[in-house]
Amino acid sequence: MNENLTLAAVDRDGAIEEMLNGIDEEAAASRGVFLKKSAFLGGGLIGGAALLALWSDAAEAATETDIAIANFALTLEYLEAEFYTEAVQMGILSGALARFGKIVAQHERTHVAALRSMLGGRAVAKPSFDFRGTTESVSAFRKTAQVLEDTGVMAYAGQAPRVETDAVLKAALAIHTVEARHAAWIRHLNGAPPAPQAFDQPKTMQQILTAVAGTRFIASAPAMTRSGQSPAFTG
Amino acid sequence: MIAAPALFLAFVAFAYGHEPSAGRQGLVVPAVPTQAVPETTSLAGRAPTNAPPHELSDEGGISRYSAVLRPVLVRARPSASSRIVARLQTRTPEGTTNVVLTLRRVERNGQLWIQARLPILPNNTIGWIPREALGGYNQVTTHLVVDLSEYRATLFRRGQALWSARVGIGRSRWPTPTGRYYIRNKLTKYASPTYGPVAFGTSARSAVLTDWPAGGFVGIHGTNRPGILPGRVSHGCIRLRNADILRLAELMPPGTPLTIRR
Repeated sequence: MNENLTLAAVDRDGAIEEMLNGIDEEAAASRGVFLKKSAFLGGGLIGGAALLALWSDAAEAATETDIAIANFALTLEYLEAEFYTEAVQMGILSGALARFGKIVAQHERTHVAALRSMLGGRAVAKPSFDFRGTTESVSAFRKTAQVLEDTGVMAYAGQAPRVETDAVLKAALAIHTVEARHAAWIRHLNGAPPAPQAFDQPKTMQQILTAVAGTRFIASAPAMTRSGQSPAFTG
Repeated sequence: MIAAPALFLAFVAFAYGHEPSAGRQGLVVPAVPTQAVPETTSLAGRAPTNAPPHELSDEGGISRYSAVLRPVLVRARPSASSRIVARLQTRTPEGTTNVVLTLRRVERNGQLWIQARLPILPNNTIGWIPREALGGYNQVTTHLVVDLSEYRATLFRRGQALWSARVGIGRSRWPTPTGRYYIRNKLTKYASPTYGPVAFGTSARSAVLTDWPAGGFVGIHGTNRPGILPGRVSHGCIRLRNADILRLAELMPPGTPLTIRR
């Protein structure tokens, strides 16, 4: 572990600060953990320093294969973060489902920030999304959230054995277990068995790609800029 | 077994339409059918609801726009039997994606409808579009305000002014229309010096020059005659000095709401 860790040294594009802003303070408080940002940034808390170190160690150790897997994970996290954030903004959720949506949106945004901090300039850009009405209908949101979380769990499980360094594996597992909690949570809210079987079946990257493609949630961004086309405006 | 980096590169090319280090132009929509997310696009079969509309854009803080995915009829009310106000195409006359500024969403009898600002005459027309005819929401936090009496344009981000410049506006016989609009597109690297280096297309249209090529849309652009600015100098467009339009082009994304007032 880097003994002289500072935020500036590892926070290449502000992603870690974004990650800190995304930490669920309510949940942290319930665990008796003080996550005051000033103290955290000053390195005065073991939990905070350990979190910073987790991702900076992963960044230092990652191989080309690890980078590719992390970018694969980042794309899935972009999708999840955008899905929950938009659903919350659309105002369709209420009660326990709203609490789930808000907390998971925060977690997924934090996962995005953490992976971006690890990948730095090698992070893939966020794609455009079209959630095709699933963030605007409670029933569609419920079904989609369950599929996304189950898929996320199987995606991390499928890639974990391919990770080449312990540091990256630790970081990935820190996300993987939380995704499993999300999956159990939404399953519970949906009246489905939270843990339907004794063993989960990992899925390969190709299987996950097919599932993501099938949703058609990753969409073309509107092409609103054009070069070489003379204006015909009134002038 | 395919190595993870190679497979991920294939994925990126598949999902994004380019290599990881490239820009984001040329995204492609994966079209492989799957059962991964059942019933995600069909909202049929649910209990009819008539909840109050949900605001999508406040046209000052957070605003959202969406692409028109297929030619679609726009209705006066959120009902398939309501009066038709417009027919929207998927492309603008400039060949860019046609977008609408989305204002509110409502569900009527299991169908989602989006109220949107429209790039049609009369100016300031709004109408309702079936949700499935529009793409995903794109969010902006900017707002351009043009004050005709002050000959001044000001760009706001989340309510804070971050850029301002004097402008030229339409002469009295070709007035720049007042009202609420949005930026439809941005044109660059063209060979028309009268428009300067950058031209923004807007959803506003001249109510007078209706036979102008491409429909008489009002633009916001540079000029090769900076000496006559500010003033009433144009056919309705909003003209800026080239340094000003270049700076505006750095700050203002297409999709930004536009308010033109006296």
